[in-house]
Amino acid sequence: MALADIIKRTCKKLGENNKPTYVVMAIATVKGICRPTFTMMDKKENPETKKYTALREGLTEVIAIPAYWACGEAAGALAKKVFKDKALAGRAEKNLMFMGVCIAALFVIPGLCSVAIKPIMDKMGLKAPEDKKHSESPQIPAQIQNTYTPAPTNPLPHKNTFPQMQAYTSRPQTGLRVGGL
Amino acid sequence: MIGAVQKLLTSSQMASVAQNTTQSVAIETTLKSIGRPGFILIDNDIDSDTKQYAAAKEFLYQATCLAVYMALIVPVFKKGGFKLAKEKLFKNTNGFEHFKDVGEYLHYRKLADNPSIQNRQATLEKEVIATKDKVKDKYNATLLAELKKENPEKFAYVKGAVELSNIIGSVLGLAILAPQVSHVFIHPALRILGLEKKDKKPENQTQKLDTKA
Repeated sequence: MALADIIKRTCKKLGENNKPTYVVMAIATVKGICRPTFTMMDKKENPETKKYTALREGLTEVIAIPAYWACGEAAGALAKKVFKDKALAGRAEKNLMFMGVCIAALFVIPGLCSVAIKPIMDKMGLKAPEDKKHSESPQIPAQIQNTYTPAPTNPLPHKNTFPQMQAYTSRPQTGLRVGGL
Repeated sequence: MIGAVQKLLTSSQMASVAQNTTQSVAIETTLKSIGRPGFILIDNDIDSDTKQYAAAKEFLYQATCLAVYMALIVPVFKKGGFKLAKEKLFKNTNGFEHFKDVGEYLHYRKLADNPSIQNRQATLEKEVIATKDKVKDKYNATLLAELKKENPEKFAYVKGAVELSNIIGSVLGLAILAPQVSHVFIHPALRILGLEKKDKKPENQTQKLDTKA
Protein backbone atom coordinates (compact mmCIF):
# COMPACT_ATOMS: atom_id res chain seq x y z
CA MET A 1 0.00 0.00 0.00
CA ALA A 2 2.96 2.26 0.64
CA LEU A 3 3.79 2.29 -3.06
CA ALA A 4 0.24 3.34 -3.92
CA ASP A 5 0.51 6.22 -1.43
CA ILE A 6 3.80 7.36 -2.94
CA ILE A 7 2.25 7.31 -6.44
CA LYS A 8 -0.80 9.25 -5.19
CA ARG A 9 1.40 11.88 -3.55
CA THR A 10 3.52 12.14 -6.70
CA CYS A 11 0.35 12.56 -8.79
CA LYS A 12 -0.86 15.39 -6.51
CA LYS A 13 2.50 17.18 -6.67
CA LEU A 14 2.75 16.82 -10.45
CA GLY A 15 -0.85 17.94 -10.86
CA GLU A 16 -0.23 21.11 -8.85
CA ASN A 17 3.10 21.97 -10.37
CA ASN A 18 4.68 19.97 -13.19
CA LYS A 19 8.00 21.71 -13.74
CA PRO A 20 9.35 21.36 -17.30
CA THR A 21 12.71 20.34 -15.80
CA TYR A 22 11.30 17.14 -14.24
CA VAL A 23 10.73 15.20 -17.45
CA VAL A 24 13.92 16.29 -19.25
CA MET A 25 16.04 15.44 -16.20
CA ALA A 26 14.33 12.05 -15.87
CA ILE A 27 14.95 11.29 -19.56
CA ALA A 28 18.60 12.40 -19.31
CA THR A 29 19.17 10.25 -16.19
CA VAL A 30 17.75 7.08 -17.76
CA LYS A 31 19.56 7.82 -21.05
CA GLY A 32 22.83 8.27 -19.13
CA ILE A 33 22.43 4.76 -17.73
CA CYS A 34 20.83 2.91 -20.67
CA ARG A 35 22.70 4.26 -23.70
CA PRO A 36 26.20 3.34 -22.43
CA THR A 37 24.85 -0.04 -21.24
CA PHE A 38 23.40 -0.81 -24.70
CA THR A 39 26.66 0.27 -26.33
CA MET A 40 28.72 -2.00 -24.05
CA MET A 41 26.35 -4.91 -24.79
CA ASP A 42 26.97 -4.64 -28.56
CA LYS A 43 28.95 -7.76 -29.47
CA LYS A 44 29.84 -6.67 -33.02
CA GLU A 45 31.86 -3.59 -32.04
CA ASN A 46 35.47 -3.80 -30.85
CA PRO A 47 36.05 -3.20 -27.10
CA GLU A 48 38.06 0.04 -27.52
CA THR A 49 35.37 1.67 -29.68
CA LYS A 50 32.66 0.49 -27.27
CA LYS A 51 34.49 1.96 -24.27
CA TYR A 52 35.02 5.30 -26.03
CA THR A 53 31.44 5.58 -27.31
CA ALA A 54 29.85 4.51 -24.01
CA LEU A 55 31.89 7.01 -22.00
CA ARG A 56 31.10 9.79 -24.46
CA GLU A 57 27.36 9.03 -24.29
CA GLY A 58 27.49 8.91 -20.49
CA LEU A 59 29.39 12.21 -20.27
CA THR A 60 26.86 13.93 -22.56
CA GLU A 61 24.02 13.08 -20.18
CA VAL A 62 26.14 13.94 -17.10
CA ILE A 63 26.54 17.42 -18.61
CA ALA A 64 22.86 17.58 -19.66
CA ILE A 65 21.31 16.92 -16.22
CA PRO A 66 22.81 19.90 -14.32
CA ALA A 67 22.49 22.10 -17.44
CA TYR A 68 18.73 21.49 -17.65
CA TRP A 69 18.31 22.08 -13.92
CA ALA A 70 20.44 25.23 -13.82
CA CYS A 71 18.90 26.83 -16.94
CA GLY A 72 15.34 26.02 -15.82
CA GLU A 73 15.74 27.20 -12.24
CA ALA A 74 17.71 30.33 -13.18
CA ALA A 75 15.08 31.38 -15.70
CA GLY A 76 12.29 30.62 -13.20
CA ALA A 77 13.98 32.70 -10.50
CA LEU A 78 14.20 35.62 -12.92
CA ALA A 79 10.39 35.68 -13.19
CA LYS A 80 9.97 36.20 -9.43
CA LYS A 81 12.25 39.22 -9.57
CA VAL A 82 10.66 40.82 -12.66
CA PHE A 83 6.94 40.33 -11.90
CA LYS A 84 5.52 41.65 -8.65
CA ASP A 85 1.95 40.37 -9.17
CA LYS A 86 1.72 36.83 -7.74
CA ALA A 87 -0.55 35.35 -10.43
CA LEU A 88 1.53 36.80 -13.27
CA ALA A 89 4.77 35.77 -11.57
CA GLY A 90 3.50 32.19 -11.24
CA ARG A 91 2.66 31.95 -14.94
CA ALA A 92 5.86 33.70 -15.98
CA GLU A 93 7.89 31.33 -13.80
CA LYS A 94 6.50 28.30 -15.66
CA ASN A 95 6.99 29.93 -19.05
CA LEU A 96 10.53 31.11 -18.34
CA MET A 97 11.46 27.74 -16.90
CA PHE A 98 10.26 26.10 -20.12
CA MET A 99 12.24 28.65 -22.16
CA GLY A 100 15.31 27.91 -20.03
CA VAL A 101 14.96 24.19 -20.78
CA CYS A 102 14.59 24.95 -24.51
CA ILE A 103 17.70 27.15 -24.47
CA ALA A 104 19.58 24.40 -22.66
CA ALA A 105 18.55 21.85 -25.33
CA LEU A 106 19.27 24.17 -28.26
CA PHE A 107 22.48 25.95 -27.22
CA VAL A 108 23.86 25.23 -23.75
CA ILE A 109 24.16 21.43 -23.80
CA PRO A 110 25.53 21.04 -27.39
CA GLY A 111 27.91 23.93 -26.71
CA LEU A 112 29.15 22.55 -23.38
CA CYS A 113 29.53 19.07 -24.89
CA SER A 114 31.58 20.28 -27.84
CA VAL A 115 33.83 22.31 -25.49
CA ALA A 116 34.17 19.92 -22.56
CA ILE A 117 33.97 16.33 -23.80
CA LYS A 118 37.16 16.17 -25.90
CA PRO A 119 39.47 17.53 -23.17
CA ILE A 120 37.89 15.20 -20.59
CA MET A 121 38.35 12.20 -22.88
CA ASP A 122 41.94 13.24 -23.58
CA LYS A 123 42.65 13.55 -19.84
CA MET A 124 41.26 10.06 -19.34
CA GLY A 125 43.62 8.84 -22.04
CA LEU A 126 40.80 7.83 -24.36
CA LYS A 127 41.10 8.82 -27.99
CA ALA A 128 38.57 8.35 -30.76
CA PRO A 129 39.29 5.04 -32.55
CA GLU A 130 39.88 6.91 -35.85
CA ASP A 131 42.37 9.28 -34.18
CA LYS A 132 44.25 6.36 -32.73
CA LYS A 133 44.55 4.72 -36.14
CA HIS A 134 45.93 7.93 -37.64
CA SER A 135 48.44 8.45 -34.85
CA GLU A 136 49.62 4.81 -35.00
CA SER A 137 49.99 4.66 -38.81
CA PRO A 138 53.59 4.87 -40.12
CA GLN A 139 54.77 8.31 -41.16
CA ILE A 140 54.54 8.97 -44.89
CA PRO A 141 57.44 10.98 -46.37
CA ALA A 142 56.50 14.62 -46.88
CA GLN A 143 57.14 14.53 -50.64
CA ILE A 144 54.67 11.68 -51.17
CA GLN A 145 52.17 13.26 -48.81
CA ASN A 146 52.08 16.41 -50.92
CA THR A 147 51.57 14.70 -54.26
CA TYR A 148 49.16 11.95 -53.16
CA THR A 149 45.45 12.51 -53.62
CA PRO A 150 43.01 9.77 -52.67
CA ALA A 151 41.58 7.62 -55.43
CA PRO A 152 37.95 8.04 -56.45
CA THR A 153 35.73 6.04 -54.14
CA ASN A 154 33.81 4.25 -56.87
CA PRO A 155 36.13 3.57 -59.84
CA LEU A 156 34.71 2.13 -63.06
CA PRO A 157 35.17 -1.63 -63.46
CA HIS A 158 38.26 -2.68 -65.42
CA LYS A 159 36.92 -4.07 -68.66
CA ASN A 160 40.08 -3.95 -70.80
CA THR A 161 43.81 -4.10 -70.26
CA PHE A 162 44.47 -0.42 -70.95
CA PRO A 163 45.14 1.79 -67.96
CA GLN A 164 42.35 4.15 -67.03
CA MET A 165 42.65 7.92 -66.91
CA GLN A 166 41.69 7.89 -63.23
CA ALA A 167 44.81 5.93 -62.34
CA TYR A 168 46.91 8.99 -63.21
CA THR A 169 44.93 11.60 -61.34
CA SER A 170 47.37 11.42 -58.44
CA ARG A 171 50.17 12.74 -60.60
CA PRO A 172 51.27 16.31 -60.02
CA GLN A 173 49.56 18.56 -62.53
CA THR A 174 52.49 20.94 -62.88
CA GLY A 175 55.94 20.66 -64.52
CA LEU A 176 57.07 18.54 -67.46
CA ARG A 177 54.81 15.61 -68.25
CA VAL A 178 56.23 12.68 -70.22
CA GLY A 179 53.83 10.77 -72.47
CA GLY A 180 50.46 11.66 -73.84
CA LEU A 181 48.49 11.59 -70.58
CA MET B 1 7.96 45.78 -27.58
CA ILE B 2 8.23 45.39 -23.79
CA GLY B 3 4.45 44.86 -23.66
CA ALA B 4 4.66 42.07 -26.24
CA VAL B 5 7.45 40.31 -24.32
CA GLN B 6 5.49 40.63 -21.08
CA LYS B 7 2.40 39.22 -22.81
CA LEU B 8 4.41 36.26 -24.11
CA LEU B 9 6.00 35.57 -20.73
CA THR B 10 2.67 35.61 -18.90
CA SER B 11 0.68 33.83 -21.63
CA SER B 12 -1.65 31.21 -20.18
CA GLN B 13 -1.44 29.13 -23.39
CA MET B 14 2.34 28.92 -23.14
CA ALA B 15 2.04 28.05 -19.44
CA SER B 16 -0.25 25.15 -20.35
CA VAL B 17 2.31 23.93 -22.94
CA ALA B 18 5.07 24.24 -20.32
CA GLN B 19 3.01 22.16 -17.87
CA ASN B 20 2.18 19.53 -20.49
CA THR B 21 4.81 16.78 -20.60
CA THR B 22 4.10 15.53 -24.12
CA GLN B 23 4.09 18.97 -25.74
CA SER B 24 7.20 20.17 -23.94
CA VAL B 25 9.11 16.95 -24.74
CA ALA B 26 8.10 17.16 -28.42
CA ILE B 27 9.28 20.79 -28.62
CA GLU B 28 12.50 19.97 -26.80
CA THR B 29 13.27 17.01 -29.11
CA THR B 30 12.63 19.21 -32.17
CA LEU B 31 15.09 21.79 -30.78
CA LYS B 32 17.64 19.04 -30.11
CA SER B 33 17.34 17.90 -33.74
CA ILE B 34 18.32 21.43 -34.79
CA GLY B 35 20.87 22.31 -32.09
CA ARG B 36 23.02 19.18 -31.97
CA PRO B 37 23.62 18.78 -35.75
CA GLY B 38 24.17 22.56 -35.90
CA PHE B 39 26.95 22.45 -33.34
CA ILE B 40 28.56 19.48 -35.11
CA LEU B 41 28.53 21.42 -38.40
CA ILE B 42 30.23 24.50 -36.90
CA ASP B 43 32.95 22.45 -35.19
CA ASN B 44 36.26 23.33 -36.87
CA ASP B 45 38.20 20.36 -35.46
CA ILE B 46 36.38 17.80 -37.64
CA ASP B 47 36.82 17.36 -41.41
CA SER B 48 33.82 18.20 -43.59
CA ASP B 49 32.89 14.60 -44.54
CA THR B 50 32.86 13.45 -40.92
CA LYS B 51 30.89 16.55 -39.91
CA GLN B 52 28.26 15.90 -42.57
CA TYR B 53 27.98 12.24 -41.56
CA ALA B 54 27.80 12.94 -37.81
CA ALA B 55 25.30 15.80 -38.23
CA ALA B 56 23.03 13.69 -40.48
CA LYS B 57 23.25 10.78 -38.03
CA GLU B 58 22.36 13.00 -35.05
CA PHE B 59 19.47 14.61 -36.96
CA LEU B 60 18.07 11.21 -37.99
CA TYR B 61 18.41 9.95 -34.41
CA GLN B 62 16.43 12.87 -32.99
CA ALA B 63 13.85 12.65 -35.81
CA THR B 64 13.38 8.94 -35.08
CA CYS B 65 12.98 9.73 -31.37
CA LEU B 66 10.28 12.29 -32.15
CA ALA B 67 8.44 9.95 -34.53
CA VAL B 68 8.49 7.03 -32.07
CA TYR B 69 7.39 9.34 -29.28
CA MET B 70 4.47 10.87 -31.15
CA ALA B 71 3.30 7.65 -32.80
CA LEU B 72 3.59 5.16 -29.96
CA ILE B 73 4.27 6.66 -26.58
CA VAL B 74 1.86 9.60 -26.48
CA PRO B 75 -1.37 7.72 -27.32
CA VAL B 76 -0.53 4.56 -25.40
CA PHE B 77 0.64 6.13 -22.14
CA LYS B 78 -1.76 9.07 -22.08
CA LYS B 79 -4.85 6.89 -22.46
CA GLY B 80 -3.46 3.87 -20.59
CA GLY B 81 -2.21 5.88 -17.64
CA PHE B 82 -5.55 7.64 -17.15
CA LYS B 83 -7.48 4.37 -17.37
CA LEU B 84 -5.16 2.61 -14.93
CA ALA B 85 -5.31 5.47 -12.42
CA LYS B 86 -9.12 5.82 -12.70
CA GLU B 87 -9.92 2.12 -12.35
CA LYS B 88 -7.15 0.68 -10.17
CA LEU B 89 -5.32 3.35 -8.20
CA PHE B 90 -7.98 5.96 -7.41
CA LYS B 91 -11.04 3.73 -7.98
CA ASN B 92 -13.18 6.55 -9.41
CA THR B 93 -12.44 9.03 -6.60
CA ASN B 94 -10.49 12.34 -6.28
CA GLY B 95 -12.13 13.79 -9.40
CA PHE B 96 -11.76 10.78 -11.70
CA GLU B 97 -15.50 10.07 -11.34
CA HIS B 98 -16.34 13.20 -13.40
CA PHE B 99 -14.45 12.16 -16.54
CA LYS B 100 -14.90 9.26 -18.94
CA ASP B 101 -11.53 9.57 -20.64
CA VAL B 102 -8.38 11.67 -20.78
CA GLY B 103 -9.65 13.80 -23.68
CA GLU B 104 -12.63 14.92 -21.64
CA TYR B 105 -10.43 15.93 -18.70
CA LEU B 106 -7.94 17.83 -20.90
CA HIS B 107 -10.81 19.78 -22.48
CA TYR B 108 -12.20 20.68 -19.06
CA ARG B 109 -8.73 21.67 -17.84
CA LYS B 110 -8.23 23.95 -20.85
CA LEU B 111 -11.51 25.72 -20.02
CA ALA B 112 -10.64 25.93 -16.31
CA ASP B 113 -7.27 27.51 -17.15
CA ASN B 114 -9.03 30.29 -19.07
CA PRO B 115 -9.20 33.25 -16.64
CA SER B 116 -12.35 34.74 -18.26
CA ILE B 117 -15.64 33.22 -17.04
CA GLN B 118 -17.43 34.77 -20.04
CA ASN B 119 -15.11 33.04 -22.50
CA ARG B 120 -15.65 29.74 -20.71
CA GLN B 121 -19.44 30.08 -20.91
CA ALA B 122 -19.24 31.04 -24.59
CA THR B 123 -17.22 27.89 -25.33
CA LEU B 124 -19.73 25.75 -23.40
CA GLU B 125 -22.58 27.09 -25.55
CA LYS B 126 -20.82 26.15 -28.80
CA GLU B 127 -21.93 23.20 -30.91
CA VAL B 128 -19.82 20.10 -31.54
CA ILE B 129 -19.86 19.75 -35.36
CA ALA B 130 -19.71 15.95 -35.43
CA THR B 131 -22.55 15.25 -32.96
CA LYS B 132 -24.51 18.55 -33.19
CA ASP B 133 -24.61 18.54 -29.35
CA LYS B 134 -23.55 21.50 -27.26
CA VAL B 135 -20.13 21.37 -25.55
CA LYS B 136 -21.76 21.70 -22.11
CA ASP B 137 -23.70 18.45 -22.66
CA LYS B 138 -20.47 16.54 -22.08
CA TYR B 139 -20.08 17.88 -18.55
CA ASN B 140 -22.03 16.98 -15.42
CA ALA B 141 -23.60 19.55 -13.05
CA THR B 142 -20.56 19.63 -10.72
CA LEU B 143 -18.17 20.52 -13.54
CA LEU B 144 -20.54 23.14 -14.98
CA ALA B 145 -20.86 24.75 -11.53
CA GLU B 146 -17.07 24.76 -11.14
CA LEU B 147 -16.62 26.49 -14.49
CA LYS B 148 -18.83 29.35 -13.27
CA LYS B 149 -16.43 30.03 -10.37
CA GLU B 150 -13.52 32.44 -10.61
CA ASN B 151 -11.04 29.75 -9.52
CA PRO B 152 -12.53 26.43 -10.63
CA GLU B 153 -11.32 23.11 -9.27
CA LYS B 154 -8.58 21.73 -11.54
CA PHE B 155 -8.44 18.19 -10.16
CA ALA B 156 -4.73 17.96 -9.40
CA TYR B 157 -4.82 14.18 -8.93
CA VAL B 158 -6.21 13.63 -12.43
CA LYS B 159 -3.71 16.01 -14.01
CA GLY B 160 -0.89 14.44 -11.98
CA ALA B 161 -1.84 10.90 -13.05
CA VAL B 162 -1.83 11.94 -16.72
CA GLU B 163 1.52 13.72 -16.35
CA LEU B 164 3.11 10.87 -14.38
CA SER B 165 2.14 8.32 -17.05
CA ASN B 166 3.43 10.73 -19.70
CA ILE B 167 6.77 11.08 -17.89
CA ILE B 168 7.10 7.29 -17.59
CA GLY B 169 6.19 6.93 -21.29
CA SER B 170 8.65 9.65 -22.30
CA VAL B 171 11.48 8.05 -20.36
CA LEU B 172 10.78 4.56 -21.70
CA GLY B 173 10.24 5.82 -25.23
CA LEU B 174 13.14 8.22 -25.56
CA ALA B 175 15.75 6.46 -23.46
CA ILE B 176 15.04 2.79 -24.23
CA LEU B 177 12.77 2.25 -27.25
CA ALA B 178 13.88 5.05 -29.60
CA PRO B 179 17.62 4.14 -29.56
CA GLN B 180 16.72 0.56 -30.57
CA VAL B 181 14.42 1.72 -33.39
CA SER B 182 16.93 4.31 -34.60
CA HIS B 183 19.69 1.65 -34.64
CA VAL B 184 17.66 -0.29 -37.24
CA PHE B 185 16.56 2.77 -39.22
CA ILE B 186 19.57 5.14 -39.26
CA HIS B 187 22.12 3.12 -41.27
CA PRO B 188 19.79 2.34 -44.25
CA ALA B 189 18.72 6.02 -44.21
CA LEU B 190 22.35 7.18 -44.29
CA ARG B 191 23.01 4.79 -47.21
CA ILE B 192 20.03 6.25 -49.10
CA LEU B 193 21.43 9.75 -48.50
CA GLY B 194 24.80 8.57 -49.86
CA LEU B 195 26.63 9.25 -46.59
CA GLU B 196 27.45 5.61 -45.84
CA LYS B 197 28.75 2.88 -48.16
CA LYS B 198 27.26 -0.59 -48.31
CA ASP B 199 30.43 -2.73 -48.34
CA LYS B 200 33.69 -1.75 -46.76
CA LYS B 201 35.76 -4.56 -48.36
CA PRO B 202 35.83 -3.36 -52.00
CA GLU B 203 36.73 0.14 -50.78
CA ASN B 204 39.78 -1.23 -48.94
CA GLN B 205 40.82 -3.19 -52.03
CA THR B 206 40.75 -0.13 -54.31
CA GLN B 207 42.70 1.87 -51.75
CA LYS B 208 45.40 -0.79 -51.69
CA LEU B 209 45.60 -0.89 -55.50
CA ASP B 210 45.89 2.88 -55.76
CA THR B 211 48.60 3.09 -53.13
CA LYS B 212 50.71 0.68 -55.18
CA ALA B 213 50.05 2.63 -58.39
